[in-house]
Amino acid sequence: MQEKNISAHNFEQCQKCAICTTVCPILANNELYPGPKQAGPDGERYRLKNPIFYQDTLKYCLNCKRCEVACPSGVEIGDIIQSAKLEMGKRHHVLRDTMLASTDLMGSVATPIAPLVNATLALKPVKAVMDAVIGVHKGRTLPKYSHVTFEKWFRKNAAAAQEGFRHKVSYFHGCYANYNYPQLGKDFVSVMNALGYGVELLEGEKCCGVAMISAGMLKQARKNAAHNIGVFSKAVAKGNKVLTVSTSCTLTIRDEYPHLLGVDNSEVRDNIQLVEKFLYQQLSSGRIKLVWKEGYKAKAAYHAPCHQEKLGWANFTIELLRMIPGLELTVLDSHCCGIAGTYGFKKENYEVSQKVGKPLFDNIAAVNPDFVACECETCKWQIEMSSGYEVKNPVSILAEALDLEATAKANI
Amino acid sequence: MKFDTVIIGGGLAGYTAAKTLIERGLRCAVITEGLSLKDVPLRSLPCSLFVGDRVLSADVEDGRVLALHTLRLEDEPLEADNYILATGKFFSKGLLVDMDRIYEPIFGLDLDADQDRAKWFSTDFCADQLFLHFGVKNYGGGRVALDGVMLKNLFAAGELLSDISGIEEDADDRIRKSAAEAAANIR
Amino acid sequence: MKNIGREFDVIVIGGGITGAGTARDCALRGLKVLLVERNDIADGATGRNHGLLHSGARYAVKDSESAAECIKENMILRRIARNCVDDTQGIFITLPEDADSGYGLDYQKQFIEACHASGINARVLDPKEALRMEPSVNPRLIGAVQVPDGSVDPFRLCSANILDAKLHGAEIMTYTELKSFIREGDSIVGVRLLDKKSGETLECRARVCVNAAGIWGHNVAELAGVHVGMYPAKGALLVFGHRVNNVVINRCRKSADGDILVPGDTVTVIGTTSTKVPFEECDNMSVTREEVELLLREGCALCPSLAQTRILRAYAGVRPLVAADNDPTGRSISRGIVCLDHETRDGLKGFITITGGKLMTYRLMAEWATDAVCRKLAVTAACTTADKPLPGSEPEDQYKEVKLPQFAGANLGMKASVGRQGSMTEKIDYTSEENRELICECEQVTVGEIRYAVKELGVTSLLDLRRRTRVGMGTCQGTYCIYKAAKVLAEALGKPEMEQQLAEEYLSERWKGMSAVGWGDTLREMEFMQKVYKVGKPTSFNR
Repeated sequence: MQEKNISAHNFEQCQKCAICTTVCPILANNELYPGPKQAGPDGERYRLKNPIFYQDTLKYCLNCKRCEVACPSGVEIGDIIQSAKLEMGKRHHVLRDTMLASTDLMGSVATPIAPLVNATLALKPVKAVMDAVIGVHKGRTLPKYSHVTFEKWFRKNAAAAQEGFRHKVSYFHGCYANYNYPQLGKDFVSVMNALGYGVELLEGEKCCGVAMISAGMLKQARKNAAHNIGVFSKAVAKGNKVLTVSTSCTLTIRDEYPHLLGVDNSEVRDNIQLVEKFLYQQLSSGRIKLVWKEGYKAKAAYHAPCHQEKLGWANFTIELLRMIPGLELTVLDSHCCGIAGTYGFKKENYEVSQKVGKPLFDNIAAVNPDFVACECETCKWQIEMSSGYEVKNPVSILAEALDLEATAKANI
Repeated sequence: MKFDTVIIGGGLAGYTAAKTLIERGLRCAVITEGLSLKDVPLRSLPCSLFVGDRVLSADVEDGRVLALHTLRLEDEPLEADNYILATGKFFSKGLLVDMDRIYEPIFGLDLDADQDRAKWFSTDFCADQLFLHFGVKNYGGGRVALDGVMLKNLFAAGELLSDISGIEEDADDRIRKSAAEAAANIR
Repeated sequence: MKNIGREFDVIVIGGGITGAGTARDCALRGLKVLLVERNDIADGATGRNHGLLHSGARYAVKDSESAAECIKENMILRRIARNCVDDTQGIFITLPEDADSGYGLDYQKQFIEACHASGINARVLDPKEALRMEPSVNPRLIGAVQVPDGSVDPFRLCSANILDAKLHGAEIMTYTELKSFIREGDSIVGVRLLDKKSGETLECRARVCVNAAGIWGHNVAELAGVHVGMYPAKGALLVFGHRVNNVVINRCRKSADGDILVPGDTVTVIGTTSTKVPFEECDNMSVTREEVELLLREGCALCPSLAQTRILRAYAGVRPLVAADNDPTGRSISRGIVCLDHETRDGLKGFITITGGKLMTYRLMAEWATDAVCRKLAVTAACTTADKPLPGSEPEDQYKEVKLPQFAGANLGMKASVGRQGSMTEKIDYTSEENRELICECEQVTVGEIRYAVKELGVTSLLDLRRRTRVGMGTCQGTYCIYKAAKVLAEALGKPEMEQQLAEEYLSERWKGMSAVGWGDTLREMEFMQKVYKVGKPTSFNR
């Protein structure tokens, strides 16, 4: 008896040391937010006493999980808050949250008319309408939609060539690479192919659900999760690893599915990895070789996204980038950029979001790199919009720095 | 991942040991479950940081630590020539206590701790409390033992050691000193 | 000796729930009342029990009289003390091992019949239905019965009675000890008191004195020169870190140790044991390792997850049972009310003892005692306590009806104080930002609530404050807040120099309860607590 205390999200392990409140990027910038300790384990005891203690202010949490990373007691503070939000969300959510949260629905509606949508979204009057009607802040640049989705490109231009590879990996491209920035998917395919891996798409992936979770859309998020676990299982059954390029999708699939949605992923979890971790491990065990382009030269600043901090895998990316001979790499101070998925898009969060990110933007400006390296697409929007510096996914950086042909020869 | 030294614990002791070794040119990693309540500029250390991660188990053979397995790195072990254990006492989970036993959870190191629980707490809150003097047995300079056998490449520092109690007035100085001593074992 | 020569109709000795209820009833009937309590209100058994709002089902089979009293008072408290009562409902479960020891489903049938005979609405639940109603219950259960149990906050209940007594003219003297009675011939005509804070002695006279001192009533009677044979039965309890269950869980069998699990406010409490203790120990109870193990073992039978739930602390109280036979366990003693008029019993005029009973029947005990007082004083006013709500408990739905100022992003503190103080919360000026500030974050206690408690609820120390507001009763047991609370309290008391003493007194009391369960996260908290108070500041907590 009493060997180990177990409580939902370890909320009872909290010692009330309050270290979480010192790392919360919102607490310092929004006085309406009660902070991770109060919104998390403290509030939880009261919510258990009476649902009257569910508070609207929980919505200010941007789910960066920095509180969890800092907690010496292993309390999953962010999960406690997200769970409470989901519990509240069972009751209501607004149109704007639905639109922003349904990234693949909005993506699939918007992509066929992408030039139109992009132009529309960039128009000031339209933005003002969005601001007034659905509460997206007008200062915000919305993500652009690509005319041709990654999946469409892949089937047409790459699928056939994948047959020739002995080793295969499955690729969870996520909504961003598919609808907004197919180039990332293309870079992934070229890098993997050069390293001797054929790329397979999953049999119909759906949005990981991260935005739905933060909008409190529990039912839809669960549906997507259950579907995705099904397609992951098929890939894993074939002996494939499932690789991802987005830290938030990865964290959601690996940790939030069981923690927040109650969807069991234990059969597939270990086989779902960020591509950087996979590549690092293949390299260090000597299974793959990299050949770099002659004369590649660049100055990069690495920003570890919050969810990368939570995954605990930033060092894989850092070590990988450090191998690039011509790359001068600065690791930026760990700091939230302020966007947190769809959080920063919401009107009521815009100002706070920009305030949160400011130290990071200043830090980038001080380093003055050629580009920022970062594995998260929403960080990319925020940093590009707010600092003016281009942001590249490490996979794209590898695609540029590698001599792909020579690498392909080295990995036959 | 391979390093010269892996330091477990990112508090004052772990930070001090890491800083000392980094200044000597060693490639270090620090793994810590959370951030220290003491104002320690851990994030400024030029080394690999694994914050929010936890060592689950260790491979030990012939008195040598070979590798650490962690919660987040999963199938990727942390390997080093030497290791420093600076996980503190109870609050920071360097020592775990349940109803029946007290133990150091990663290696199961030999402890100095009174088994008679009636003696652990003084009823007077303000009086000295015996349990705050428990810890890993220090065989000098942070050398530690497992079942009576000294470990060759693992050294303990800071409050984890039984001879340092964080309550004492000069605790911080003694923690730093013990970290320097542990680091001095590493050549 | 300072003889202030104050005259009262009645002096009530003891500030537990019985004394508080009696003082209120007497005051409501127009009597001039003095209540004296040697420590704080609710300091004895009143504040050291489960806080169970018995349906009476527990007594139905063996003691139908007590059971009937319970259900009647249960229904009354739901009306008059809404703010202190949580209608959780309760279940009595049957486990496979109960069947082996003769308490199987046959007994369940007998149990239900006895409940019905006593007027308790008992309903058989299918085990699956019971699990839906209370997911934490032992899934091995083979039967369950739902009864109208609930939880009641004894601190709040006691405080509300005191407050109402005061509002009706009663004078309350806490930290005032009875030293002796003033006797004239065969009558008790007053008391000699010691003001423990100032060290002064004083005399007060009254036509009747009521001994409502719980187990300490034994000594009070001795001082009056009469003997009431009492029987101190220690009961130990454990507090778990959060509300593990939302329904009271009992075992459907003969009453035994550790067979009631009550969700009370933000925590869950398991109890209790029953051990005869000497009178000398009543003032200094501690919980043994054996008691903790027993409570955990039995608790896990009710709710298996308790094995992995953090225990915040252990505590014990002493039941004031009136010795009736020589049963060494104390279980077969009726929990019945004993009201003794010492004039008819011992030929001593002006002295009444009210004892026995239990938290649940305090109002009825008070009614009996007040009836006895009124008979002596030839007062005919009728008892109204069964209908008149206690202060703070007037609204049907406190969270909806109590008016609070609206602020964007306000913390939980204002709402939490409504949960504790009910409609009295409107007396806290929450338009002041300072008053909205949280002091105790685990229990959501604000500066305003502390100031209110000092002004209206007779608080003199942090321990008193805890009994009025739950300050420091949460997860960290005061680690994170007591230094702040001490400052606010010392200032509110106008005694800023007392800060250190207030904090020390509080922490020492918490320390004792935590030491009994010093392992796991509680031990981590203990180290943290030591450091917060002993490191890096004037080392006055460090000796």
